[in-house]
Amino acid sequence: MAGVLFEDIFNVKDMDQGGKKFDRVSRLHCESESFKMDLILDINSWIYPMELGDKFRLVLATTLRENGYPDGGEWNPLETEGNRADSFEYVMYGKVYRLDGDELAMEPTSRLSAFVSFGGLLMRLQGDANNLHGFEVDQHMYLLMKKLAF
Amino acid sequence: MPKEQYRETYVGRKISHVTFNVDSATEIQQAAHIQVITKNLYAQDGQRVPASYGVLDRRMGTNQKDANCETCGLGLAECVGHYGYVELALPVFHVGYFRSIITILQTICKNCAKVMLPETIKKSFSRKFMHPELTYLHKKNLRAAKSPAGILKIIHDKYRTKKPTDPLVQKVLKDFNEAKESNKELASMINSGLIIEMSPLEVLNLFRRIPDEDVPLLGMDVKTSRPEDLILTRLPVPPLCIRPSVASDIKAGTNEDDLTMKQSEILLINDVIARHVASGGKSELVQEDWDYLQLHAALYINSEMSGIPLSMQPKKPGRGLVQRLKGKQGRFRGNLSGKRVDFSSRTVISPDPNLQIQEVGVPVHVAKILTYPERVFPANLQWLRQLVRNGPDVHPGANYVQQRGVSHKKYLKYGNRDKIAQELKCGDTVERHLVDGDVVLFNRQPSLHKLSIMCHRARVQPQRTFRFNECVCTPYNADFDGDEMNMHLPQTEEARAEALILMGNKSNLVTPRNGELLIAATQDFITGGYLITQRDSFFTLSEARQLAACLLAGPDANMRIDMPPPAILKPRMLWTGKQIFSLIMKPNKRCEVKANLETKGKNYTGNQDMCVQDSYVIIRNSELICGSMDKSTLGSGTKSSVFYVLLRDWGEEYAVRGMWRLARMASYYMMNRGFSFGIIDVTPGNKLIEAKNKLLESGYSKCDGYILEMEKGTLQCQPGCSMEETLEAIMLSELSSIRELAAKACFRELHPTNAPLIMAQSGSKGSNINISQMIACVGQQALNGKRVPNGFEDRSLPHFERHSKIPAARGFVENSFYSGLTPTEFFFHTMGGREGLVDTAVKTAETGYLQRRLVKSLEDLVLHYDMTVRNATSEVVQFRYGSDGLDPSYMEGRDKPVDLARVLRHVRASCRTQDEEPLDGEGIVVAAEETLALDDFKTCPPEFKAELLEFLKGIASKVRSLRERYASAGPVALQLERLTLTQLVRFIRVCHEKYQRSIIEPGTAVGALAAQSIGEPGTQMTLKTFHFAGVASMNITQGVPRVKEIINASKNISTPIITAELMEPTDQEFARRVKGRVEKTTLGEITTYIDEVYLPHECFLLVRLDAERIRLLCLEVDVHSIVYSICTSKLKLKPGNVQAVSEWAIKVHAEAGKHGGWLNVALQQLARQLPSVVVKGLSKVSRAVIACDDTGPVNRYKLCVEGDGLREVMATYGIDGRRTTSNNILEVFHTLGIEAAAGTIMSEVEAVMAGHGMAVDMRHVALLAAQMCARGEVLGITRYGLARMKESVLNLASFEKTADHLFDAAYYGQRDRIEGVSECIILGVPAGIGTGVLQLLHKHDHMTSQQQHKLLFDDPKYHSSIWE
Repeated sequence: MAGVLFEDIFNVKDMDQGGKKFDRVSRLHCESESFKMDLILDINSWIYPMELGDKFRLVLATTLRENGYPDGGEWNPLETEGNRADSFEYVMYGKVYRLDGDELAMEPTSRLSAFVSFGGLLMRLQGDANNLHGFEVDQHMYLLMKKLAF
Repeated sequence: MPKEQYRETYVGRKISHVTFNVDSATEIQQAAHIQVITKNLYAQDGQRVPASYGVLDRRMGTNQKDANCETCGLGLAECVGHYGYVELALPVFHVGYFRSIITILQTICKNCAKVMLPETIKKSFSRKFMHPELTYLHKKNLRAAKSPAGILKIIHDKYRTKKPTDPLVQKVLKDFNEAKESNKELASMINSGLIIEMSPLEVLNLFRRIPDEDVPLLGMDVKTSRPEDLILTRLPVPPLCIRPSVASDIKAGTNEDDLTMKQSEILLINDVIARHVASGGKSELVQEDWDYLQLHAALYINSEMSGIPLSMQPKKPGRGLVQRLKGKQGRFRGNLSGKRVDFSSRTVISPDPNLQIQEVGVPVHVAKILTYPERVFPANLQWLRQLVRNGPDVHPGANYVQQRGVSHKKYLKYGNRDKIAQELKCGDTVERHLVDGDVVLFNRQPSLHKLSIMCHRARVQPQRTFRFNECVCTPYNADFDGDEMNMHLPQTEEARAEALILMGNKSNLVTPRNGELLIAATQDFITGGYLITQRDSFFTLSEARQLAACLLAGPDANMRIDMPPPAILKPRMLWTGKQIFSLIMKPNKRCEVKANLETKGKNYTGNQDMCVQDSYVIIRNSELICGSMDKSTLGSGTKSSVFYVLLRDWGEEYAVRGMWRLARMASYYMMNRGFSFGIIDVTPGNKLIEAKNKLLESGYSKCDGYILEMEKGTLQCQPGCSMEETLEAIMLSELSSIRELAAKACFRELHPTNAPLIMAQSGSKGSNINISQMIACVGQQALNGKRVPNGFEDRSLPHFERHSKIPAARGFVENSFYSGLTPTEFFFHTMGGREGLVDTAVKTAETGYLQRRLVKSLEDLVLHYDMTVRNATSEVVQFRYGSDGLDPSYMEGRDKPVDLARVLRHVRASCRTQDEEPLDGEGIVVAAEETLALDDFKTCPPEFKAELLEFLKGIASKVRSLRERYASAGPVALQLERLTLTQLVRFIRVCHEKYQRSIIEPGTAVGALAAQSIGEPGTQMTLKTFHFAGVASMNITQGVPRVKEIINASKNISTPIITAELMEPTDQEFARRVKGRVEKTTLGEITTYIDEVYLPHECFLLVRLDAERIRLLCLEVDVHSIVYSICTSKLKLKPGNVQAVSEWAIKVHAEAGKHGGWLNVALQQLARQLPSVVVKGLSKVSRAVIACDDTGPVNRYKLCVEGDGLREVMATYGIDGRRTTSNNILEVFHTLGIEAAAGTIMSEVEAVMAGHGMAVDMRHVALLAAQMCARGEVLGITRYGLARMKESVLNLASFEKTADHLFDAAYYGQRDRIEGVSECIILGVPAGIGTGVLQLLHKHDHMTSQQQHKLLFDDPKYHSSIWE
């Protein structure tokens, strides 16, 4: 699929470590099934509640257009039909603001973290650098999520 | 009349200096127009015509509207007044010079009237005095060497030094007795023959005989005045206009000025004396009247003279000449240094978030009265015509028109305004109303720093108060509980321009104290910003648009707003608050602002951006990435604010615009969301009550445990404390911690929507203490940093048992304001409250005076064009301002001009260079070195270049290690710490530019800035007066009292502490030994007993040493050293009488001789005195405590020594003298010298400020230290210190002791050059400071011989005559 940066299925391992601090936002700690990526993700829990142990499919894409053409950065409130979002339940738009190495590891490694902010809802995707191919700082991206049935 | 503009080119007359001298009798006569002889004020005809030759004679001017001066013929307003004089019947002393007269009398021989000095010394001194370049300060110091009896009488006690049996004295006494017998009258007047009273007449004659060549030795200037002028024989009568008589309606007659009354009294006494003398009256009567004349002449000059005998005391105290000059309302401070002005207004202030930051709302009523004289020119002719037509009663109107070439103004209230408007032509001046956009100065008292008066743009509004945006509250320190503020309207274009650029509040967003932002969001704006940017605040499309739309106002009314795409697209479109907030910085794509910020917020917990409290703020290219905004990112007093970043990287316009947008958005949001405070907000939940009770329980049980331990005597003492003190200290800290823990519990348990919690967390108002006091527990009430003391016998209140130490008995309040206080708790709380109130009241007065002194001493320090700081007389105080010549208000880092990490982040984010290949480690270093070598950076000082390079090398090594670690990760690894060549060069350029910008401008009034920067924080210092120096038992004075000590350069400071580093800092045993060497140990402390022993053959004192204690204290004493100490002590014991019996015992014999042979008396006295003999240590040191620093890997010990004696402590073996400091400035000065003293001043001021959480730039403190130490000794900023720092008499006179300085100046014949700020203000001359340092705008080269061009057609070939 064109324009997709990353795709995997995640399990919610933990929610709101250290207590729920915000009424409408939950912080999910997840782990992916195939690439063994660690994910921390803030979601709006009022409009899209998640439970511990939920399994969901997560896609990170640079555009919502199925053909993969970049959407030019302009937001058009009318242009909503017939795109990739239709097959997902929860879609966010944000920006990569930081790519970071693993501070603790001293020996050569290839674990990287990508930090994305969806208007203040943060995501940290940590894992093998090869899975973060194509990530760049200041890159806009869409996060698409869909819960999977067991 | 429009204000006449000041023009430097008008140099027809210029005041170069002011000379002071004592007028001689002749000069008084010459200056006068008439001799006043009549004691009557008015002629006796009932017409109220001033008596001629009386003190109200019209020839001395006029004081009535209907009468003209008889000398110059001018009226009340024009006549400047003329002097008269009174001839005194007998000479009297001048009070002001009385001390000088005595000094002269002490210096000269009473027979030959010559100065009593050997010829050689005389010569050398007179050479020194004649030196033309001699400064006033030196002159005063050069002065080389009887007592007044009664009031203004001098007694010459000639024979004081001689014994009464001396033959010479005998002879005089005999003579005197003979004389007494022959003249009985004499006996009543003179009581002893040995002392001679010097009457003014005798002194006058003596002074007349002082030879001219001796006068300079007295410090006087022969050319201007002679010693005899110090004695009054004529009294000048001042002009009428300075002592007006007021006709009163109630009682027929007039109220005369005190001076007039005194003058006529003097005339009356004068008359009486003259009559007595003429008629040969009794000498007692003459003497009595003479005394009376003396008294009144003195009272005329100084009515507050002390020591007047009760019988002679005047009934009502009048105002003498001195009283007119001195004090706050006196001439110097009240009329010369500060004046009442026109074009000003004052009213109550109120807030208005809809006004822009630089605006001030002015009531129409005020706008119609304040006018600006606008010159008519073609472009504004039509507009001004309309204003004239509107007249004075319609707002945009005008009050007066001044036509060109016409002397009087036309008042527009009456007359044909249309006609005047039609006749208006270019060159006329219209005094128009204040209109929107006019430049005004806005001020609130107390004006403690330069930001207390700033320039705003007026906005005329229909109400009755001045209004401004709340963001500007901080610099004025204003609130809206009824505060009033002043507004001034500058009257010339030049003044407007200067005010707008130099004083504009847009140009003063930052305080020069430390470069922090002062004008920034406050209170509700912060709360609003905090709420909008919460992680869980979401907005639907309409909500988001509505919020964004409130930005459209004022200059932004037609702005385009580009909404960002919603953060959540599905299940429904939602924008987050952070996205909307980002619009404040960058509302649309066309706006080029790219702000970058990364900082910790107030509630930061850890994990950087993943902080669970969402309190790590990242703003990237004007987009709020994460973190909620709070006081540290929106508010004032910080450098990590969004607005600070906008200001520094994009300019003041954007910063101010952003602030205003926030003000509008936040207040709109708050109005719609609603934010209120009710009882429910302070009602604790069950969980919270439970937590609090648990806290109290554990705290109480701990305290009970300590009390029990104390009773048992098992309490571990803190170093240097008794058990009692230790208990108090632990209890206080234990109980104080309860409140803090309760506050933490509140923060934990309260719901995030709780209003006080939101306010505390956002930092907009209130702190955790306030929350805890309202909801959980009010906590320990402290008085003087201790628990509540015993006001009754052995207890604080009669409700408790005696000697009770439980928390409740000593002022612990366990209730909250919500639950209500018990009667005893309430009383304790009022005790704490009262201390707070008293402290604020005392503090305001004290800091006000402190500020005034600081400003007076530093006001004329200016940065000159050679970057030196000099005072008014051009003496160098600092060779380079702050040793680097940088402006404190441009410091982006802590005392540094550039915060390199922040700039690098900014450059990396704002300049993406997506296509460029990032540099590797080596590449960065090479590129940096090459770039810095470019010619563009020639002006950059090498230190700064080195700093830059060092920083970039750090980045390079980071890149290098990252590249190594992620070698296998592929291209995405290149994104880590990405730095391209363009970015690098850009970074260096930006840093360089920032550095260049931060170089201070010549002409800056650095002294005044320093004084304000140190004085102003003083007013904000809170109650915390003590602070522990390393060890709990040793506290040092803090706050205003300590600042006062430092600035006064006090000799005896309240808590002198020497901090001594040890040679072996890690060895506790060593530290204890050194302590033993330093601390004063008396014999009594190390003896088990001192017994009187009476044996048949001898009696002695047996001193038994306490071996155990000596060992414990690690004292290096043995029996022999103690014997030596006893022998060398003040007891004056003979060595033979003190002998060591054994290793631990000493025998001391007493001498029986002195006390009438009673041996036991002598023994007992000795037994009393012996314990206080110092056997070891330094006598000036009262206490030494070992302080342990356990923060490092190994415990390090140092010594805190209470008391003086830095020199001795430094010289003690085991102490590292190089790292030993004292907080006593004068002690450091005497031990280590002036530079060390300056360093101590700096570190001490810095420490006090830091103790109160106030950052002051080191440059200010360094300047203060430099000024205090500039004369080579430490001079305090007091009236004494200042008198030795300043040359100028006017400056000193306008400070304190006005009259004394003026009389001194007259005595020395001082020539005061008008250079300093105070003098210039007094004389109305522009001061050489700020824009005034520049005297010459352009120096034209001397005319070189001009070459005459040949005229084009002046050529013979064109001159061919047509006739030829």
